[in-house]
Amino acid sequence: MATVDKEVETDEFLLDEKTLREIETMKGAGQWSIVWRRIKKDKMGMLGLYIVLFLIMMALVSWILLMVDNWLTNANLLLGDPNNPASLNNLYIELWYPGMDQSNPIVLFQHPRYQFADQSTLPPSWEHPFGTDRLGQDMLSRVFFGASVSLALGFIGQMTTVIIGTVLGSIAGFYGGIIDNVLQRVVEILYSMPSFILMIFIIVLFEDVQIPGGKYAVVIVFFSLIGWGGTALIIRSNFFSLKEQDFVEAERALGASDMRIIFRHILPNSLAPLIIIITLGIAGVIFTFAALAFFGFGDPNAISWGDDLNKWQNNLLDYPWMPMFPALFIFFTVLGFNLLGDALRDALDPRLKD
Amino acid sequence: MSLRGYIVKRVIYIVPVMLGITLMNFTLINISPGDPVIVRLGLLKCETPECYNSAYNREAIEMGLLDNEMYTVPWFERYIDFVNDLLHFDLGRSWYNTQAGVGIPISQLISERMVYTITLNVLSFVFSLLLATAIGVVSATRQNSIWDRSLTIAMLLGYSMPLFWLAKLIMLLSYSLFNFTGVVSKDAFKTPLILNPDFYKYLILPTLALTLGGLVFMARLVRSQLLEILRQDYVTTAKAKGLDNRAVIYKHAFRNGLLPIVTIIGNSLPGLLSGSVMVESVFGWPGLGTLFLEGALFRDYPLMMATNTIFPLLFLIARLLTDITYVFIDPRIKY
Repeated sequence: MATVDKEVETDEFLLDEKTLREIETMKGAGQWSIVWRRIKKDKMGMLGLYIVLFLIMMALVSWILLMVDNWLTNANLLLGDPNNPASLNNLYIELWYPGMDQSNPIVLFQHPRYQFADQSTLPPSWEHPFGTDRLGQDMLSRVFFGASVSLALGFIGQMTTVIIGTVLGSIAGFYGGIIDNVLQRVVEILYSMPSFILMIFIIVLFEDVQIPGGKYAVVIVFFSLIGWGGTALIIRSNFFSLKEQDFVEAERALGASDMRIIFRHILPNSLAPLIIIITLGIAGVIFTFAALAFFGFGDPNAISWGDDLNKWQNNLLDYPWMPMFPALFIFFTVLGFNLLGDALRDALDPRLKD
Repeated sequence: MSLRGYIVKRVIYIVPVMLGITLMNFTLINISPGDPVIVRLGLLKCETPECYNSAYNREAIEMGLLDNEMYTVPWFERYIDFVNDLLHFDLGRSWYNTQAGVGIPISQLISERMVYTITLNVLSFVFSLLLATAIGVVSATRQNSIWDRSLTIAMLLGYSMPLFWLAKLIMLLSYSLFNFTGVVSKDAFKTPLILNPDFYKYLILPTLALTLGGLVFMARLVRSQLLEILRQDYVTTAKAKGLDNRAVIYKHAFRNGLLPIVTIIGNSLPGLLSGSVMVESVFGWPGLGTLFLEGALFRDYPLMMATNTIFPLLFLIARLLTDITYVFIDPRIKY
C-alpha cells in the first residue's frame, strides 16, 4: 500500500511520485529554464559545457590579443620596425597602454610565428610548457592562437550548413510536391558520396581559386554546399508533422500568410532539433577540417591545430609533444561538443533519453 | 512482390543514383578554374613553346577536350563519352602512376588495390560488429554497474578521438611495446597473399585501428537500442513466464533491436569508408584509399574521377546488402 499513498489523484490522471517531483521543478518555469535545469543535473553535460565555454573564451582572447598586437605593431606605437620579422615587437605578443614606456611593454607570450633556430625541438619545460617545434616556435603559443581559427572554422562551417539545410528543408517540407521530390533525390546523391572523399576531390579541383579569406574560405563554401542534406531531411520531416497540427490549421483559418506560419509557428517549434544538430554538428565539422588538414589539404600558412598536426605528424615517435598537444586540443573540443550535444538532446527531448 | 523482384528493383535503382554522382563529379571538374591540360602538362617537361603547344594539343585531343579538327567538344558529349567508357570498364589511364612513360590503366590499378581495401574493411567490420554487440549487451543488461559506466566512458572518449589520430597512437604504442610501427613494407604483398605470414603481420594494426573506429560508434547504438527494448512489455512477459536472462536477451530483445541497428549501420557506411581512407593512409596500406589520396595530392584527375565513382558504388552495393538483410531479420517485412 506504500506506493499507493504517494500517488495523488488529480482530475483525470493518477500521477506517481517521480512525475510529481518533475512537475514541482517545472512549475512556473519557461521552456528554456526547464532545459537549463535538466542540463544542470547532467554531470557529463556540465563538463561538456565547461569545456566548450573554456575553448570559446580561449579562442576569443587569443583572437583579440592577436588583433591588439597587430594594431600596436602596425600603428608604430612600439619601438621596432613592423616590416622586420626579427624585430622585437614582432616576436612577442605585447600589451601597451598610453603613458607606458614604449621600449618596455608588458610581454605576454611568444608570437605564434616566432621562430628561433637555436630553440628548436625543446621538450616541455618551464619556459616552454608544451615544448617547441622543429622551427623553434613555442607550441603553447601555437596551440593557444590556433584555437581561434580551429573553432571559427567549426562554427562558420556548421552555421552555413545548417542555414542552407533549414531553408531548403523548410521549403520542401512546407510545400511538398515536386520540390520535395527533387530535394530528396539530391540528398540521396550527396549522401552516397563519402563526404570526406568528396571534400578532398573538391579541394584539389578548386586549389587555384583566389577569394578573400584564403584557402579555408573555399573549403567552407564547398563544405556547406555539400553538407546540408542531414539538416534538410530532419527539418523537412519536422515540417511535415507540424503543418498538420491543429494550431497551424487554426492560424491558417484566421487568414495568416505562409510566411507568418513558417516563421512564427513552425520554425520556432523546430528549434530544439536545430540546436541539437548545431552542437553535435560542430564536433563533426571540427573533426572533418582537422582530418582534411591532417592529410595535407589544409592551409599550411594558417595557425590551426589541424595544420600543426599535419606538419609534425611524422615526429610522433621522436618528438611526441609536437603533434600531441594540437591533437589533444582537437580531442577535447570534439569531446566537449559531443557531451554538451548529448546533454542538450536529453534535456530538449526527454523521450529520447536512455 | 517477390523477394527477387524487390532485389532487381533495388539493383536498377542504383543506376540513376550513379548517373547523378558521375554527373556531379563531371560538373565539378568542368566548373573548376584552371585548365586540366595545363595541370596534366605540369607533370611533363618542355623547353620550347612549339613543343609545349604540340604537347598541349596532343593531350587535349587525348583527353577528349578537343576533337581531331581542333574544335572544342561540348561538355554533354564528353559526359556521354565518359559514361560510355565507364560501362565498358574503361576508366582511362592514370597520369601519376606510370610504367615506361605510359600511364597504367586505372581499371588495372583499381582491381589490384581493391583486394586490400576489401580485406581490411570486411575484417574490421565483422570484428567491430561482434565486439560492439558484446559490449552493448554487457552495458545494457548491467545498466549503471561499474562495467557499464567504464565502458560508456571509454566509448565516449573513443567517439571523440579523431580516427587518424587513434591510428597514430596505436602506431606509437606498438612501437614502444614491440618495436614495430606497422607501416607497410614491400614484402607484405608477395603473392599468394593467403600463405604470406608478413601480410597478416602488417594487417593487424590497420585492422585494429579501423575496428576501434567502427566499434565506438556501433556499441553506443547497440546499448541504447537494447535499453529501449528491455523496457518493453513483452520482455517483462518473457521474464515473468520464467525464461532465463540469456533467452530473454538473445531470443526476445536482441532480435527486435537488430532492425534499427542495421538501418543506422547501413546509413553510416560512407563514414566507415572515409575512416578506411584515413587508416590506410596512416599505415601506408596500399588500398583504394591510399591510391585516391596519392592521386589527389598529385592532381591525377582521371584517377580521382575513377575512385570517386568506385567509392559510391561500393557504398550503394553495401547498402543494397543491408536492405536485403532486413528481409531475413524481420519476417514481417513483405515486398
